[in-house]
Amino acid sequence: MNRNNIFIHIALALVLILVAAFAGQLSRWRNQLKTSVRIVPAEKKQPSSAEEIALSETRSFGRPEVLVKFKSGVSLSAIESLTARLNDRVEDSIESVAGLEAIDDLDNADANAVAAQYKAMPEVEYAEPNYDIELDEIDNPLEPILPRDPQFNDQWALANSGQRGGKKGADISATLAWAKTTGSKDVVVAVLDSGVDYKHEDLENNMWVRPADMDPYHDDELGTVDDLNGYNAIDGTSDPMDENGHGTHCAGIIGAEGENDLGIAGVNWKVQIMPLKFMSAGGFGTTKDAIEAINYVIQRKKAGVNVRIISASWGSTQKSRALEDVIRKAYENDILFVAAAGNASTNNDRSPHYPSSYDVPNVVSVAALDRNDQLASFSNYGAKSVAIAAPGVEILSTWLGNQYEEKSGTSMATPVISGVAALILSENPRMSVDDLRKKLMDSTDPIVALKGKTVSGGRINAAKALE
Amino acid sequence: MSINKDGAVQNARRDLAKRLNIDPADVKERSVEDSDFPDMSLGAAEDGEMSGQMITPGWRIRLEANGQTFEYRADKNQVRLYKFKGKNYRI
Repeated sequence: MNRNNIFIHIALALVLILVAAFAGQLSRWRNQLKTSVRIVPAEKKQPSSAEEIALSETRSFGRPEVLVKFKSGVSLSAIESLTARLNDRVEDSIESVAGLEAIDDLDNADANAVAAQYKAMPEVEYAEPNYDIELDEIDNPLEPILPRDPQFNDQWALANSGQRGGKKGADISATLAWAKTTGSKDVVVAVLDSGVDYKHEDLENNMWVRPADMDPYHDDELGTVDDLNGYNAIDGTSDPMDENGHGTHCAGIIGAEGENDLGIAGVNWKVQIMPLKFMSAGGFGTTKDAIEAINYVIQRKKAGVNVRIISASWGSTQKSRALEDVIRKAYENDILFVAAAGNASTNNDRSPHYPSSYDVPNVVSVAALDRNDQLASFSNYGAKSVAIAAPGVEILSTWLGNQYEEKSGTSMATPVISGVAALILSENPRMSVDDLRKKLMDSTDPIVALKGKTVSGGRINAAKALE
Repeated sequence: MSINKDGAVQNARRDLAKRLNIDPADVKERSVEDSDFPDMSLGAAEDGEMSGQMITPGWRIRLEANGQTFEYRADKNQVRLYKFKGKNYRI
């Protein structure tokens, strides 16, 4: 071979190498695109079970694919054999991580189930679904958490899968919030209402009990009250047992124990609910007793109880300066006051409803939404005076005697907001009441039906509130 | 003690007769309808009264006496007179 031929052969070899390298890179780019950029199909299967609710929030249906990391020492032929046994195929090897394979399931089974099959194999270090990633708009990367409470599927406010004709996703994104926190026993929420059935099996573990080292409540007029389980302002006694059911319902929305195989889950799975009774068996009470109960909360806060929220699912059109003053005093003690906007279908900007319409910085006035993201037909509204909206129609929660009932009203929307506030505090215990209120207002999903109807124009999103 | 529809109507008739100082037989029952009220005071709160903001099922009772119609509202827990001379009363 002469000298010129050698140069020609070397040049040809270099060209071939470059072409091969470029083809390989093209293939890698193609595979990267397949694994990282997805187009969500227009038609999705409508989830109905709790499991499907979770799946619907992790990924789209119909394109199963998993990422499996095999343990070191497992050969490629062994991997191919394992995948073939499940009627899967290795779509791509991720060269930079030894043993990591992108696997396509040829049966189109759901990706979580396929990942679970691989996880169970002794040869596998980990396996996970290939989550959808959408360009420009990356959804919450948290994996939703579902409680095993048996009636959770009926709690559309927390996870709306379209059950009973509702709109899928018209919920507070509780399952995503729970990936971050399910609450804390360090947070105390006062339920100022008809009392609470503190012996309800789905509530009893989340009830506040006066700490052993704290003196019983003392009031100059009432004397000493043994407030072991809370406070009854109607007769100034120690027993806040609910005789109506309304307060028990509100308490369950805030903090029915989660993951306990019973009934429902609250917005908080764990929290402390301080029961305060000022409404009688009929569901009504006096302004004076409401004031006494709020005063009790403030005194307990001063005595060291970490009570940061008062949930007030009640009201009237009558303004009381004394009630406003005591709510302001609660503000000065760093206590949020969440109040029902009212159920008269009226505009609170023109016809105020109290206490929700008091112009005090800690008051959060709450409107009610139905399961289709529509303002509830009964709900009051107000572009200037109603802060925020939350689900409040056909809400399942705890009732007297270990029962559960569906109820509607801004009464039911209010504890949803109180519950989200408690979740925020579980993550940010030192957050001031001003910041807490601002956080709630900044944590909504815009809703068309609320435009011009509330200050925020949105439905509370618990997951956003924890960002 | 739980009140039923008939009991609520009887309570309302007695109350109106007493207020108008007439014989209960002169109070006529014009209509009794099932109704959902906006709150737990049945949309008829007394002065200084607060109530749970929960939709509450009950009965709207319309009685007639002295040529006038009077509205009572009731549920299993209570009977109320609605806007009698501009005021609400829980009876």
